[in-house]
Amino acid sequence: MKINRRIFAIATGAALALSTSMSFAGEALDRVMSEGVLKVATDANWAPQSFLNDDNEMDGFDVDVAKEVAKRLGVEAEFVTPSWDIITAGNWNGRWDLSVGSMTPTKSRAEVLSFPGVYYYTPASVAVHKDSPYKDVSELNDKKVGASIASTFELYLQHDLTIDAEGVPAFEYKITPGELKSYKDGTAALDDLRLGDGVRIHGMVGSLPAILSGIESNYPLRVLGDPVFYEPLALAIDRGDDAFNDKLAGIIADMKSDGTLSAMSVKWYGIDYSSSAGASN
Amino acid sequence: MLFADTVTSDPLVHKPKNIIIMLVLGLVVFSLFGLNDTIFGEFMRPVIGEPTESGIFGNIAIAVVMSLIFVGNIVLIGFLPFRYQVIVVWIQLALLFLSFFYSFGLNFEFIRSKIWFMISQGVFTTLYISAISIMLASIVAIFGAIAKLSSNGFAFAIASFYTSFFRGLPLLMQVYLIYLGLPQLGYVIDAVPAGILALTLCYGAYMTEIFRAGIQSINKGQWEASRSMGFGFGLTMRRIILPQAMPLIIPPTGNQFIAMLKDSSLVSVIGVWELMFLARTLGNKDFKHMEMLITAALIYWCLSICLELIQSRIERHYRTISH
Repeated sequence: MKINRRIFAIATGAALALSTSMSFAGEALDRVMSEGVLKVATDANWAPQSFLNDDNEMDGFDVDVAKEVAKRLGVEAEFVTPSWDIITAGNWNGRWDLSVGSMTPTKSRAEVLSFPGVYYYTPASVAVHKDSPYKDVSELNDKKVGASIASTFELYLQHDLTIDAEGVPAFEYKITPGELKSYKDGTAALDDLRLGDGVRIHGMVGSLPAILSGIESNYPLRVLGDPVFYEPLALAIDRGDDAFNDKLAGIIADMKSDGTLSAMSVKWYGIDYSSSAGASN
Repeated sequence: MLFADTVTSDPLVHKPKNIIIMLVLGLVVFSLFGLNDTIFGEFMRPVIGEPTESGIFGNIAIAVVMSLIFVGNIVLIGFLPFRYQVIVVWIQLALLFLSFFYSFGLNFEFIRSKIWFMISQGVFTTLYISAISIMLASIVAIFGAIAKLSSNGFAFAIASFYTSFFRGLPLLMQVYLIYLGLPQLGYVIDAVPAGILALTLCYGAYMTEIFRAGIQSINKGQWEASRSMGFGFGLTMRRIILPQAMPLIIPPTGNQFIAMLKDSSLVSVIGVWELMFLARTLGNKDFKHMEMLITAALIYWCLSICLELIQSRIERHYRTISH
């Protein structure tokens, strides 16, 4: 959902060039199998994908998917919560094995990470204040629009979004914001938007599930128009371990075909996001 | 005056001119706020009728009453002796803050359900990271200070480079550099050690300067005297210089510890579950950010107050109490 900032891409690119890829085929898979633990990096601030539940444990859609993947590998899942930019910077050095963090597979990320499988698609939608007059997303042109920093939503507003994955419907840039406000995460943008139309921002672009869960928690917002684009969200691993990559790709394909992913999606979102986006909406 | 003398005069707040100025200022400020639709408007309901419909008359009436209460309160406090003034003003400010927080309509049930985890996981982590870091930083600082004062060119160059570099970078950037940079050199460092290392190096640099200033403040004669008695460098430091420098070093070091307690929140970016991380995370799912942020703020504040008390104890021990 969020995209690596260019500076990190350059930094890690340079670092990679220096260290000339230290991973070898099978290394990550061997480590996971021998230790019996799959270390998964997720965001702890990304409800309903991943968050701390009432028992102060990690929970959510991404967490369920990660646990299922670990189960099918025959190991235990363990969660770590580094900040998002550290995950997307790649070059994990074995600190953790897998990211199940609703990551969009983009070209710049593919330089430092591998994406074994797309496990669901989310609609990216525009949220505005409940009392605002807008009827169409194009009315937000030249207004103040927010999005979380280093995200596909920010790139969409900057007219600089490329998604390299199969089964993604084409999209067009419908909004040209007068001012783009970047936030630490989507929730921070929702928090500013709830203050009123134009108090800090006029609208925000974010993932539909996140916006809906905000509305469910009595944020005075509404979703404006149809989703502006759909983004595929994938597992990510450090580059250089094809065996691990293939293994995970197989597991995701199985989870899709036996309906596990749709069941989890319905459990957390109430809607099946696991199939190809255009068809379901 | 900022020192105790024998000239007595009326408190400033009892001079008629000042009282009038405060009344007028209070009147202007309170009427500009427009308190009609607040709880103060409700209190005035018997006099001004329906608060929201009382318009400018209600507004002024509320402002007059508020400013009379406000100034009356200040004048009354002016009669108290110093000690009680401090206590009363503290209590009033604290109540003001609490009522401010209370007005957010916080969900106390939610806070109750999370507070134990915040303390057992968050406060514990914050405290042990800060405590280990401040101890290591003190060790770094004493070597840094000695190196900075030495006549050895290498030692001075290294120490001054170190203090310049680590005081010159934002702590957050150091956390990232250590966490992401060290693995490039072949050592994969975990989040907690990386955080401790960053805090140690950064605060070690600040404390180097504190230690240096403390040691430098000791008169040259002390060195000369100890040398004339045949003391070596180590013995001079241990027995003569440091015991005298400590009273100067301890208070700013306590300050550093309090600052570090709060700066340790920066290691939350590399995924350490300390107090700040939990404050941002626990309320996220239910959109209860204010609850957790205010709770964490109060916890940080309580911790700082405890440290301040300990610090003033230590200062008293060294007899450098300022008030």
